[in-house]
Amino acid sequence: MKLEVRKVPESEPEMVEIRYHWITDEVQELISFVKSRQGQLTASRDGQRFEIPVMDLFYAESVDDQVFLYTAHDSFEIRMKLYELEELLRNRHFLRASKSMLVNLMKITSIRPALNGRFTAILKNGEEVIISRKYVPGLKQILKGGDSE
Amino acid sequence: MIREKLKEPLIRIVRLYTLQVTLISVLLIILGKLLDSSRVFSYEAFFSPLLYALIGTLATLITHTDKEISMKGLIIRKVVTLLLVEAAIIFIAVRSDTIPTEQKWVIPGIAIGIIVVFLLSNIIMYFSDKKEARKLSADIVRYQREYLKGKQ
Repeated sequence: MKLEVRKVPESEPEMVEIRYHWITDEVQELISFVKSRQGQLTASRDGQRFEIPVMDLFYAESVDDQVFLYTAHDSFEIRMKLYELEELLRNRHFLRASKSMLVNLMKITSIRPALNGRFTAILKNGEEVIISRKYVPGLKQILKGGDSE
Repeated sequence: MIREKLKEPLIRIVRLYTLQVTLISVLLIILGKLLDSSRVFSYEAFFSPLLYALIGTLATLITHTDKEISMKGLIIRKVVTLLLVEAAIIFIAVRSDTIPTEQKWVIPGIAIGIIVVFLLSNIIMYFSDKKEARKLSADIVRYQREYLKGKQ
């Protein structure tokens, strides 16, 4: 695929144009990436594609090599690895809460202790997710105003 | 960040250790007064709470896992930890010349005392976690408020 990067004057809008012959996996990946940078994720449910605003996401979970996105009442599958999603959602209020989960800090109402030193985050839709002790320093770092890495 | 990640479990281990030293010291005073009040010890006796707490903390580390375990798995691990501590401390008590294990109530007393210390240290650690969770909750609410204020 040919790549063209061109500087434009400030009077012209910045844009990404994807020219394709067929929507292949590669093209779809590029579209998803650009959309995610604009605050939307492309995911599917029952074979249908949906554009999900990142701000509507409550958490993302990896189950048996598949990654699922959860909004207040729905779940969708996204064709992406959890670490790729984590990278994409960096600086968008998402925290790695456990080995298999990312949680949106803007959707947490409170945190309470679970047994064995772990914590449970109670989300605005009433769901609960575990925050492993290992990821608590990352959470504190974000809350202090820094990046989790 | 790696330093931060190591700091967290280290603080937890030190906190558990000092808590156990305190609880064991109190337990030794109570058991000693009840079961063997006439005995006189040398300064070395001050080492025993440090040693017993070390055993308790090490047993916790042996059974510790980073994996996300179920409630059943967690209870099994706690029971295994307790049994390890019981076995190690009773073994030391039997081998020691200073602990009168020949007396009928000494070994059951130690065994019950270990359970009490184990339960108390778990309960206190839970309340300490609860305090930390309360602070995290308050920080999250502040974080959300600051972000929303910044957006307006």
